[in-house]
Amino acid sequence: MSTSVVPPLPKQGFGNWLKKHFFSTWLNSVFTVIFGAVLIWMCIKLSNWAILDAIWSVDNKEHCGHGAGACWAVIQDRGRLIMFGLYPYEEQWRSTLACLIVILTIGLSCLPSFWSIKKLPALWVIGFGTFVLLMRGGFAGLPLVTSEQWGGLSLTIFIFSAVFVLGMPLAVVFALARRSSLPVIAKGTGLFIDLVRSLPLLTILFAAAVVVPLLVPDWLEGNKLGRVVVAFAVFFAVYQAEIIRAGLQSTSQGQEEAAAALGMPYWSLVVDILLPQAFRNTLPSTINQAVITFKETSIVTIIGFFEVMASGNAAIGGGEWTEQFVEVYVFLALVYFVFVFGLSRYGAWLENRMRVGHA
Amino acid sequence: MLDNAISVKSVNKYYGAHHALKGINLDVPQGQTLVVCGPSGSGKSTLIRTMNGLESIASGQLEVLGLDIADDARNLEAVRKKVGMVFQNFNLFPHLTILENCVLPQIRSVGRDRAAATVEAMDQLKKMHVDIHAEKYPDQLSGGQKQRVALARALCLKPEVMLFDEPTSALDPEMISEVLDVMQELAKENMTIVCVTHEMGFAQAVADSVLLMADGEIVEQGTPDQMFNNPQHAVTRQFMDVVKK
Ligand SMILES: Nc1ncnc2c1ncn2[C@@H]1O[C@H](COP(=O)(O)OP(=O)(O)OP(=O)(O)O)[C@@H](O)[C@H]1O
Ligand SMILES: [Mg+2]
Repeated sequence: MSTSVVPPLPKQGFGNWLKKHFFSTWLNSVFTVIFGAVLIWMCIKLSNWAILDAIWSVDNKEHCGHGAGACWAVIQDRGRLIMFGLYPYEEQWRSTLACLIVILTIGLSCLPSFWSIKKLPALWVIGFGTFVLLMRGGFAGLPLVTSEQWGGLSLTIFIFSAVFVLGMPLAVVFALARRSSLPVIAKGTGLFIDLVRSLPLLTILFAAAVVVPLLVPDWLEGNKLGRVVVAFAVFFAVYQAEIIRAGLQSTSQGQEEAAAALGMPYWSLVVDILLPQAFRNTLPSTINQAVITFKETSIVTIIGFFEVMASGNAAIGGGEWTEQFVEVYVFLALVYFVFVFGLSRYGAWLENRMRVGHA
Repeated sequence: MLDNAISVKSVNKYYGAHHALKGINLDVPQGQTLVVCGPSGSGKSTLIRTMNGLESIASGQLEVLGLDIADDARNLEAVRKKVGMVFQNFNLFPHLTILENCVLPQIRSVGRDRAAATVEAMDQLKKMHVDIHAEKYPDQLSGGQKQRVALARALCLKPEVMLFDEPTSALDPEMISEVLDVMQELAKENMTIVCVTHEMGFAQAVADSVLLMADGEIVEQGTPDQMFNNPQHAVTRQFMDVVKK
């Protein structure tokens, strides 16, 4: 029989907890009171503005501004513009559906059970293929909508996920090439990575959108969105490659020796042993890179794409809603927040899961 | 039948300017157990690691199971499938379960299908008395258990030769015997074994031959009895006095 001896936990009521964390010294008490008061005041103000005094319906539009709270009517009126950009009104259901499909694709790719060499590419080809077909149309009675007309949130999500999906395998290739035992390949890749990293994203996207068509033959030109996504993916890949390389370096020499001694081929060493550990070891940096990339998608505005940020600007630019820029930006901020916060929570979940179950 | 599982002739190895193996000559007959000992830095690991090509050699001949791995790198692949190795630091794959650690190499290196590989893996884990840990991850096991898993993982490939590089040096004293016991079983089953170790009890019990290295050279080789009780060289005598204590 084993009897475990557990020391009795000190009884700790809410009062004690409060005292310990907020009122332990008189200075702490002063700070607690001051910050507490400010915080409560801000919460009241914010909820008054955002909810209690807010105007929700376009029918009450005339009350907007005159000392009332937030004028969410602008979102009701211009929400579709923000969400879909210039996408034709009657066809916006396609954009919604396409968006949901991409979100589903992203969601499924996040599940560790989908992480295999066969499943992930299949999922992505199906997910993105459906997105592009739906958005573009031009078959089965769906009117053709060219990528110049794509816009709003669905464009943002598309650019982000396409950059990620193209950029990630590219990053793996760069990282492996940089470790290659052939000096020409290793040095060449290193040079390329350093070169791309030394250029601003804007320059690269501008070159892809405007300069490339001048240089290459027509048949190689592709469309503008495609070129921009590929250029963006290369930019993402050079940063992600350095993260993966750091992860590869952090796996021990013994892993490679064990795999070699077991007669496992090189590709298996890379795919089954090194990369999973490299990704595990660098998960926080990878999530960080994804968050940065998501926020950087707004830069495509400058080369004429109407992603969610630009659509937001258009929504307040029409004259009618010029005064509601705060509401529109708050709404945009919320949209970004949902995605970025979701990404970080996913990262935290994954990290935790790997610590416990080692994924 | 081949006589020698491993045959080493005039092998030289350099690390930069350091002459790590100085014209080594050595035969390991099939089914025999060779224990390699010697002071730190004498080249024991280097020698054993040349036997499955983890270290390349500068000159000399090296045949393993009849295949020349000194001049023909293509033979290396074949040799590694027939030569298992157990390391001081286990080198289990930390992101895979114990079972998967044993299954994956079978699939990847000899192309066994998953079902057969799983049966084989469970069989070997059971022989090493670690089958109840099959679903755990390496971090969750003790050193002795990890080393037995590493051994099971190697045995799944049905090797004809096993190489051990100080398999018990990283273990707490109370776990050493559990690993030596399973190795002893293996030696009795007529596996060809080359083992770097300072466990002289083990050498005494199972070795057909004991070899002492110093400074990149083989100083003396003989039966355990000769080496322990009647060493010819001063270096051997000195070394044995130290490890016997
Ligand atoms: N990768 C390497 N690069 C340079 N020198 C090395 C390398 N590996 C081993 N050496 C050197 O070669 C010599 C032999 O090393 P080896 O690891 O074979 O010794 P050992 O007998 O196994 O020692 P130990 O008992 O400490 O494991 C040592 O002097 C060591 O410093
Ligand atoms: Mg050694």
